[in-house]
Amino acid sequence: MAWNRVAVVGAGLIKMGELFDQSFEMMAAGAFNAAVASVDKGFDPKAVEAAFVATQRGTLWGQEGISGNTVPTAIGLAGIACTRIENACPSGSDAFRVGAMAVASGVHDLVLVIGVEKMRDKSTEEGLLSRAASGHPILTRGETAPVLFAPFATRHMHEFGTTREMLASVAVKNHHNGSLDPYAHFQNEITIEQVLASPAVCTPLHLLDCCPQTDGAAAVLLAPADRAHEFTDRPVYVAGFGVATDHPYLHEKTSFVTLQATVEAAKRAYAMAGVEPADIDMAEVHDCFTITEILDIEDLGFVEKGKGGIASLNGETALTGRIPVNTSGGLLAEGHPIGATGIAQLAECWWQLRNEAGDRQVEMRNGLALQHNVGGRGSGVSVVNILTTNR
Amino acid sequence: MGASVAISAVGSAAPSLRISAAAIGEAWGRSGGRSVSAVCAPDEDALTLAAAAAVDALAHADIDPSSVDGLWWGCCRPPFAEGPSHAVLAAAIGLASHAGGALLSGSPHSGIEALLGAADAVAAGSARTAMVVVSDALVPGLGSGFESRCGAGAAAVLLSADGGSASISARVTRTHPWLDRYRGDGEATTRDLYDARLFREEMFLPPVQEIADHLSALDVRAWSLPDPDGRLGRVVAQHVGAAIVSSADIYGALGDTGAAAAILGAIGAFDVAGPVAIVATGGGRTTGILVTVDTPVPGATTVATMIAADARDATYSDVLRARGQLKPAGEQIPMGVPPESALFARGADEMLQLLAGKCADCSTLNTPPSIHPTCIACGGSKLEPVGLARHGMVHTFVVNQTMPAPFVAPLPIAVIDLDDGARIMLQVVGDGADLAIGDEVDLVLRRYAHERGVPVYGYKSKKRAVERTSTHATRSEKLTPPQDRDGARNLESKAV
Repeated sequence: MAWNRVAVVGAGLIKMGELFDQSFEMMAAGAFNAAVASVDKGFDPKAVEAAFVATQRGTLWGQEGISGNTVPTAIGLAGIACTRIENACPSGSDAFRVGAMAVASGVHDLVLVIGVEKMRDKSTEEGLLSRAASGHPILTRGETAPVLFAPFATRHMHEFGTTREMLASVAVKNHHNGSLDPYAHFQNEITIEQVLASPAVCTPLHLLDCCPQTDGAAAVLLAPADRAHEFTDRPVYVAGFGVATDHPYLHEKTSFVTLQATVEAAKRAYAMAGVEPADIDMAEVHDCFTITEILDIEDLGFVEKGKGGIASLNGETALTGRIPVNTSGGLLAEGHPIGATGIAQLAECWWQLRNEAGDRQVEMRNGLALQHNVGGRGSGVSVVNILTTNR
Repeated sequence: MGASVAISAVGSAAPSLRISAAAIGEAWGRSGGRSVSAVCAPDEDALTLAAAAAVDALAHADIDPSSVDGLWWGCCRPPFAEGPSHAVLAAAIGLASHAGGALLSGSPHSGIEALLGAADAVAAGSARTAMVVVSDALVPGLGSGFESRCGAGAAAVLLSADGGSASISARVTRTHPWLDRYRGDGEATTRDLYDARLFREEMFLPPVQEIADHLSALDVRAWSLPDPDGRLGRVVAQHVGAAIVSSADIYGALGDTGAAAAILGAIGAFDVAGPVAIVATGGGRTTGILVTVDTPVPGATTVATMIAADARDATYSDVLRARGQLKPAGEQIPMGVPPESALFARGADEMLQLLAGKCADCSTLNTPPSIHPTCIACGGSKLEPVGLARHGMVHTFVVNQTMPAPFVAPLPIAVIDLDDGARIMLQVVGDGADLAIGDEVDLVLRRYAHERGVPVYGYKSKKRAVERTSTHATRSEKLTPPQDRDGARNLESKAV
């Protein structure tokens, strides 16, 4: 039986992209205002009791001291309870889980979960690339973000015959979906040939196998399930969630064709929601690289292990496919503003469940949507949230 | 000299790049001649070459590095001008922390000083097994005559009080306070000779010929002679009537290897019984020694293999970049962990020694110890530091093509399953173009970076060119044809 103690009554985000003209605070206010405006029966912003802020790269210029106290002032709610959540790439999805637990505990009724991330205030070399020399002085040297996932691609190709075309089909699909998403960083279609011909970034991954560095923000408003109808006649409930960790360093992994944290997090979320992978209507999954989505759809149980590549190439995960994946465009096209990513994915699930996704709306047979992130030296932690319209 | 000092094995190493004098000449708009020099890749230097030669000698002696009592290292240009050069090398080759020895530096003569210092320690009884390493990778002034002669290489000699295949049977030294090649405090490059004729007539030939005369009375079979300009070696060889000048092979293949030249030029001749004379000069000192070879010294025959194997022809700009003489404009963003920091102190040493924490309960190897207070497999908390195997197989890999400075792309990185069951992720030497899952790799010491001006060392993996069983045959095919090497030797005995 699904958990269903907490409802999502509003969700909103800002147009993702390289937002050189917007501050961290401006992005936060934009997402919060959009979430407030989305509430069907209206929502008094002053009613928010507590906020959970997800932001991951808190070391960028001007954000060195980002903490829970940054957002309330930016959104006009100075004084409320506010806590920063950092849990690598799943920071946003984990902040959502923590916010849901805060509501379910009865400590707070109306909770804001907001993710905000500035990826482009520092130059490319000083930003995400600088992790090439972070961590252990020798062991992780040269380990830029693609190094965390490309070894899985090499091994997946070796063991299952996955091809670069199969990887590319993920990027092509997600760019198509992004072209239908007004919030997406990239809104252009691409072809498999373009992906194959794009410059090598980290063999076997090429430029169009990789998500962009995106500035962005997203917010959702949570309320107790039994108060949901004060705000909307079409509430979406939190059916379940799961978090799991795995050894963080790559050399500690026992398998390079599975992200074990995803397998465990999914198992916990499915059990909590009382559903099976086959019950899920659509999923927003972590596609920081094309190979990641292929691993995700296998590890989440949507396709058999080793068949993720061919399933993608055959359109099983397209908008009209058996299990539509990343209808928003995913990280590859909508973008990956790390702390905001999970919450933007949840907003997409919310729209799909409410049949508000416009041209990218998929058929919702069971009223179940799944959201997933994985991160932390690549795949050291995973969060899965399951939303439903069923009560 | 105690009669009990014996040479038990030798080792050698050369860097991965070669540049022709013609390529250097072309850059300066002049004809460059026909010589070739060995040059370090960006991740090699005098310390990594020294480590490679030492590991080679240990393998030929078939002894464990922990049984070595001291390391004597001769090097004109140790990588830390002030700092732990000797300690880093000793840790990297796995010597015990109580091992003694010395770093001899300051001139090309320091190589022979290291050999004699170690021999004296063994003779005096303060060491039973001594490792002598001589290495150099000098940096010449751009456009100087020395530029096309300046090479790089290393040799190692294991001395033992417990017997061996050869012994040091004579030594003679002359000292004159003369300035020849020179590098001052703060100078990046070695200055060329002030006046070639002055050097030849007053500084070089008188002491070198005097020392060589002393040795030539001892029925010398083969010679290692200094050759600072590509001509003077022949002059001395002719003066003493040398039939075999083994150092000519090294000068011909690798160029002037500085403090390594005298010993590296000799050990190839340790493959046949008979006396080998070694003359080293530099820094105002000239020393000659006689090594009496009783039976072929383990490692001697592989010198020829070493100088012929695994080299890549480099362009002039490759060489300048590798030596740090060609740098992009603008500020370089400091990367990584400061080498003086606590994190570095905790983390770098264990990678230099290639340590793992072995679980007392389930024997799992946890790599490295600093991030594993608890066994990753069974949760046990009793972990004992042990050294890792240095050979394994590629489980998976990537080639990183997008790197911020100071990294150089393409940078292959591999997850490796070592022979002892440990798994580790390390950078791979080379461009990774032919890397594949299942490839056999050896772990080799490399300089990972110059971090805030400090060299940072660690192990990388290096693909084995061919399978172990067929290594010898394939390498033999790559050897310089015998007639060429003999030709080089014969040149030495011709009149000039």
